[in-house]
Amino acid sequence: MLPTAAVEIIRNRSALKKELVKRSNLVPTRIAILGGSTTVEVKNMLELFLLAQGIQPTFYESGYNRYSEDVLYENPELWKFKPEIVFIHTTWQNVLEYPEVLEDTSRVEDRVRGEMTRFQSVWEKIRSELGAVIIQNNFDLPRLRPLGNLEAAQSFGRVNFLLRLNSEVASYARSHSLFHINDILYLSAEVGLNAWLDQNYWYNFHMALSPTATVALARNVAGIIKSIYGKSKKCLVLDLDNTLWGGVIGDDGVQNLLLGRDHAVGEAFLDFQRYVKNLQRRGIILAVCSKNDLENAKEGFSHPDSVLKLEDFSAFKANWNAKPENIQEIAAELNIGLDSIVFVDDNPAERSLVAEQLTEVAVPDVGPDVTVFAEVLERERYFEVEKVVADDLNRSAFYSSNAQRSANQGAFANYGEFLASLDMSAEIGPFCPVYLERITQLINKTNQFNLTARRYTSAEVEAISRDAAYITLYGRLADRFGDNGLVSVLIGRIVDQRVELDTWLMSCRVLKREFELAMFDALAEQCQARGIHKIVGVYIPSKKNGMVVEHYANVGFTSAGKAPEGGDLWHYDVPSNYSPKTRHIYRVTEALTAAR
Amino acid sequence: MTKDQFLLEMDNILELPAGTLRGNEKLEELNNWDSTALITLIVLAESNNNVRINPSQIVNCFTVADLVKLAGVKESSS
Repeated sequence: MLPTAAVEIIRNRSALKKELVKRSNLVPTRIAILGGSTTVEVKNMLELFLLAQGIQPTFYESGYNRYSEDVLYENPELWKFKPEIVFIHTTWQNVLEYPEVLEDTSRVEDRVRGEMTRFQSVWEKIRSELGAVIIQNNFDLPRLRPLGNLEAAQSFGRVNFLLRLNSEVASYARSHSLFHINDILYLSAEVGLNAWLDQNYWYNFHMALSPTATVALARNVAGIIKSIYGKSKKCLVLDLDNTLWGGVIGDDGVQNLLLGRDHAVGEAFLDFQRYVKNLQRRGIILAVCSKNDLENAKEGFSHPDSVLKLEDFSAFKANWNAKPENIQEIAAELNIGLDSIVFVDDNPAERSLVAEQLTEVAVPDVGPDVTVFAEVLERERYFEVEKVVADDLNRSAFYSSNAQRSANQGAFANYGEFLASLDMSAEIGPFCPVYLERITQLINKTNQFNLTARRYTSAEVEAISRDAAYITLYGRLADRFGDNGLVSVLIGRIVDQRVELDTWLMSCRVLKREFELAMFDALAEQCQARGIHKIVGVYIPSKKNGMVVEHYANVGFTSAGKAPEGGDLWHYDVPSNYSPKTRHIYRVTEALTAAR
Repeated sequence: MTKDQFLLEMDNILELPAGTLRGNEKLEELNNWDSTALITLIVLAESNNNVRINPSQIVNCFTVADLVKLAGVKESSS
């Protein structure tokens, strides 16, 4: 993890970079930074924060203030670079036409439209010609206010005008995929306007942000890019005593815990619980890891002011075992990687032990003061998401119903009977716009049941979905315990009358449910419909996908040696009388939510 | 910050082994002396010594010793 203080990051940039590039499995990406001001420092800091997230960027930088020209006049260097992500680093200084004092509102609106048209022409060209994901700064505010407070009140005031522009940029973001706002209006407030822009750096280097503000900007942009690559965290593991409430439940009893509006410290714990609850509501999985007797620990949530309830937690470890051991069990229970977990504990010794023994787990230095816990989590941008999709909101329910399924399994004589009892139905179909965000999310964060571990940006997934040279399939699965959501993705490239499987992955929450067979049945149907008789499977080993080493053999493929680009090749000849392999999943043609 | 500490910071900024710089080196002959190094120096002078350097002042600096003086570093090396 990088140091917290911006000055320390600036001071040790070279040494930090040297350490970070030594890490293995860095994900490469190409980023074009198109600047309305000087961008060298932005690039340097962004590189550092991305490396810290396991992403190795290669950069293109536009010339000074050539953010629009490079795109509109198709700078050959930029086109040759083929960026996967374009970051447009503009600020209030790049607005060309501010309103005149006393200008009427309709003229001001013309100016809003003029500025938006200018920016949109750049965005649209990037979308149509480069196919890259766009990250666009919204507008910060100038430090000087010649009109004083009228700047905010009057439509011709610059503050009012910039906020109007921000509203239009947000509206564009809502209606266009692959477009993300880097919210520098918020960042400049967080840093403080006086520290955000330093005239010394502006006049001498044309840096629109001071060096310390540049660190904040880079951290935020890296957070967005991390989410594009599905590297955001999924699960928050929490200690209990003095983390979710003040006091020690085993010693003090539930009635004496500090929690609630009656006490300053209790109010701070309550607000932290509310923050955690909000994370849970938008799809972050919660788990407890506490040194306590189980019954004592559970009793804490019966406190009348506890916002968090037992059912909010998808895993609950309260015992006297070492915390690293418990966290490993939580990861196994939830079928998630340790690198998806953030651990919060007020006790520095416990944090240190977990950080030392489980290096993949993020262990922020939250300190002992509950009033800063949420701020520390926010600062690290652990849970940044591209979009919140419906499946995210149901995530806790998925994991809770998985526990019910496991409990239910013991009641059956054999596994087939258990599968039959689940009353499973599947919706499987070609990629469609409504699911593209979730498909991209799954492609970028599925590690274990993933045959090739290939990653694609939203732009690439959208392009593939429109390309007739590909067979694409998504799969949703529901059963009598609930809807598992969109859990599987398959991409096949059609080459010379055969399909080469570029991507095949499945969420671990539906392992051993025969859903991979249902996906294969759908693929075989697609092949038959197109007169294709051969399927070529590829297995590219990664650090985490060992569980699928025998997958193709299990489905009925035959080994065909090594692939030229590495990995194992497998062949499957689709018989004309192909009969479905799955026995326990019923395929529905309408949307699954409507079907059940 | 003492002069020795400042020189060590400069070693770090310029990615040189600790103890390389003595003060008499010409800036134009230092490989990594660029805008990033300059900005880092300005940030450190401000945060460590509370000295605000205007980059235009650095135009008049020719050696590392000139920077030492500009950054408000004490001459004693203890």
